[in-house]
Amino acid sequence: MRAADRIVGAALLAIAVAFAAFALRQHAYWGESGPGPAFLPFWIGVVMALLATLLLVGALRSRDPGEPWLPRGEGLQRIAIVLGATTAYVALIGVLGMTLATALFLVVLVRWPDRKPWPVAIAVAIVVAALNHVVFTRWLHVPLPEGPFGF
Amino acid sequence: MDFLGNLAMGFSVALTPFNLLMAVAGVVMGILIGALPGIGPPSGVALLLPLTFGMSPTSGIIMLAALYAGTMYGGTITSVLINTPGESASVVTCIDGYQMALQGRAGPALGIAAIGSFFAGTVGVVLLMLISPVLARWSLAFGPPETFALMLLGLTTVTLLTGESAVKGYISMVFGLLLATVGFDIVSGEPRFAFGVPELMDGIDFLPVAIGLFGIGEVVAGAEIPGGVAMLKARYGLRDLIPNAVDRLRSRWAIVRGTVLGFLVGVLPGAGPTVSTFLAYAVEKKVSKHPEEFGHGAIEGVASPESANNAAATAAMVPMLTLGIPGSATTAIMLGGLMMWGLRPGPLLFEKNPEFVWGLIASQYIANVMLLVLSTAAIPLFVRALRIPYGILMPLIVVFCVTGAYSLKNSVFDVGQMVVFGVLGFAMKRLGYSPAALVLALVLGPMAERAVRQSLIISDAGAAIFFLRPISAVLMLAAIAAILVPTLRALAATRRRRRLAALSP
Repeated sequence: MRAADRIVGAALLAIAVAFAAFALRQHAYWGESGPGPAFLPFWIGVVMALLATLLLVGALRSRDPGEPWLPRGEGLQRIAIVLGATTAYVALIGVLGMTLATALFLVVLVRWPDRKPWPVAIAVAIVVAALNHVVFTRWLHVPLPEGPFGF
Repeated sequence: MDFLGNLAMGFSVALTPFNLLMAVAGVVMGILIGALPGIGPPSGVALLLPLTFGMSPTSGIIMLAALYAGTMYGGTITSVLINTPGESASVVTCIDGYQMALQGRAGPALGIAAIGSFFAGTVGVVLLMLISPVLARWSLAFGPPETFALMLLGLTTVTLLTGESAVKGYISMVFGLLLATVGFDIVSGEPRFAFGVPELMDGIDFLPVAIGLFGIGEVVAGAEIPGGVAMLKARYGLRDLIPNAVDRLRSRWAIVRGTVLGFLVGVLPGAGPTVSTFLAYAVEKKVSKHPEEFGHGAIEGVASPESANNAAATAAMVPMLTLGIPGSATTAIMLGGLMMWGLRPGPLLFEKNPEFVWGLIASQYIANVMLLVLSTAAIPLFVRALRIPYGILMPLIVVFCVTGAYSLKNSVFDVGQMVVFGVLGFAMKRLGYSPAALVLALVLGPMAERAVRQSLIISDAGAAIFFLRPISAVLMLAAIAAILVPTLRALAATRRRRRLAALSP
């Protein structure tokens, strides 16, 4: 946690300074009648820089390394699988269409982290993807992205 | 007084078959969403908001408000039977609720929570009905400085609920404000921080952010531990739920105290149901004649917080409807919904859209009755839903989040944005930041910016205008106190720790 606080503090400090500077460079701080577009962003940057400094100084002076913020071993692996599968799912929506990508995602995520049997994974995937498709396209009239097979 | 006429009109709106159906659907989904760990009230409301776009705003808000009330009770089931809070306002209930369940008293624990929720919810609506019109009329006199001061108060109090570190709470909030400045400037029309990305020109939409932070963030955080939780076997037939005479005597005043406290906390902008439950539990332990029983199955430890969270959930709608300032992350999302439906929350809502406001109020009475019926008669059904293994539930929540985020604007960009904020939500949770503060700031940001800029335009005295007008001055001082108190407390704590460290070699 202490290491993470140091990194987050430093990163936020950099973001805050860049944000305020960028706002001032691109936009007017004060217009003809009052505060301009850069007014609030500038002050948000100032306050954020102050808070980030507090966090950074606190973490630098702390002698307690604290608990690690990410789990190790199996826990981390499970988190990585869920994150990876979700990212791949979203990336595949444009290629396979919503329904097929959903089914594929469900097979992977029901099958892997908890070792559910294949038939369960496939059944859940087909039922949920089909239901999802019907509810959104038929009932709510949301055209979901289509894949190469037209659904 | 046209009060009764308004209420009668409200009931005529709320009792139409479709709106009645929406209230039932809202309560049922709310109990389910509250009961299922990994999905709480803010993500529930965010996910269901797109479904309401095809309805009239009145039907939409009836469903969402019923859902919010339902989640407050649903979380209790999980807290009592699995010792895992279904949502954050039921964390405290785990302490004594689970102990009661271990002693074979799960029934009375759930029963008293249902009774307390019903009482608190109903009293909450009565107070909401009495206070809101008055507050709305009073706030008509609010100019930009008062509005800004009130928003500042809301933003500073929301950070009070991040327990560990006040600095991290403020960072979450300011980061939300920072994100809120992306997009067209409301005064000059210049696009800010969009970097030529057309999707960013209109600003960062709060819904994909909320779905990501709360929905995906919770799922990823919950993925660490393999699914499958041990659920206590309990009997929850109607007769098993009825608390005995001793329980009733002990809980009577606990429920009343919880209700009053919950309503007071809920009305404050920023502090929502979760804070109210912690306060209610602390108060109950203080006033109890047998504080040693707390933590070992004291029924007051369930009755009071469970009443408080329902009262607070209702009360949180007071500032949302009358001032346009949300009292919690969930009402912040509802407020966003109101604006998407083309309604302007605030004092004029009562004059311009009476059927909306009074329909909502009347439907809250109905929702509370439904909640009592469902939470006593249908518990076995909801318990069965809890048996869905987390390994299957988790991917389903992700699919909901993805399709929900897509359906807002039929945009894959929104889905990507949601996943980015999902990862951020997970990291924030792990590192002790507050996603609720971020969302609240993202929703309030544009309104606060408009208010502060208008104030400075009309001011002859610069920033002093906020302290020269009486209402705004009081609100500003309250906001400053909300910043100073935790800071001073933290300083005192470090000094004490140093002194202790100096004493022990």
